[in-house]
Amino acid sequence: MAFIHGKNTVVKVATKDLSSYTAMSELPRTADSHDVTTYGNVAHRKAGGLLDGTFTMSGTYDSTAVNGPRAVLEPLLGTVPAVIRQTEGAGTGKPQDAFTALLTGYTETNAVADMVKWSAAFEIDGDVDSTPQP
Amino acid sequence: MDVNAVVTALAAQLSTITALRVHSEPPGTVTPPAAVLSYADVTFDNTYGRGMDMLELPVVLVVAKVSERTARKKIDAYVSGSGATSIKAVIEAGTYTAFDSVRVASATADVITIGGVDYLSYAFTLEIAGQGA
Repeated sequence: MAFIHGKNTVVKVATKDLSSYTAMSELPRTADSHDVTTYGNVAHRKAGGLLDGTFTMSGTYDSTAVNGPRAVLEPLLGTVPAVIRQTEGAGTGKPQDAFTALLTGYTETNAVADMVKWSAAFEIDGDVDSTPQP
Repeated sequence: MDVNAVVTALAAQLSTITALRVHSEPPGTVTPPAAVLSYADVTFDNTYGRGMDMLELPVVLVVAKVSERTARKKIDAYVSGSGATSIKAVIEAGTYTAFDSVRVASATADVITIGGVDYLSYAFTLEIAGQGA
């Protein structure tokens, strides 16, 4: 077992590697909860339902024309691109989450005393393939 | 970012200010008016995969003796936000390949003693962003 630093995380959207522009990413996964309590129970009974999840990423804006966050993400708004996130970085056998997700938001934030920042929000479409990297 | 290349580039840009002596490292002695580029604080890994690092570079400006009658007028020209001798304007007007962006974020007044003489000075803080790898 070893603690893993976040700095080596790899994030790709529509095959474009956005890692070097990204400082934060988050993949919260959820499951529907159904209450199946019946007469005779003395406590709530629960059953799992459909899986769901979102994905968010954010970082520092870069004007790179082809592979920068604006160039890659803005045209993908409202579409369902492929997303790959490698939590421990790239490497055979290391974990990976691969999924398609609806890009629901792309935001650029310009504070007067800071670098230009960007963020993107996705809703996961279907299953997440968590097979480790080949 | 190559820190030495960053300092060299900024020193060259500051050297475009007429009559300002620019030292790219702390010198043994200073003859005002002079700007001394000090040592940078480095923040690594501002993005994943060594994408971005940031530097905070102090530049100390020494202009005139505290007792000099025109000291204030002299130093104000360097501290102003615009003008041919404005440290902020000149630094931010430069074109650089050693890093991506620079902002002169602040300037703090001080008095420093050189050779037993008190000089008016300002410590400028430069925020520099560039590629990590």
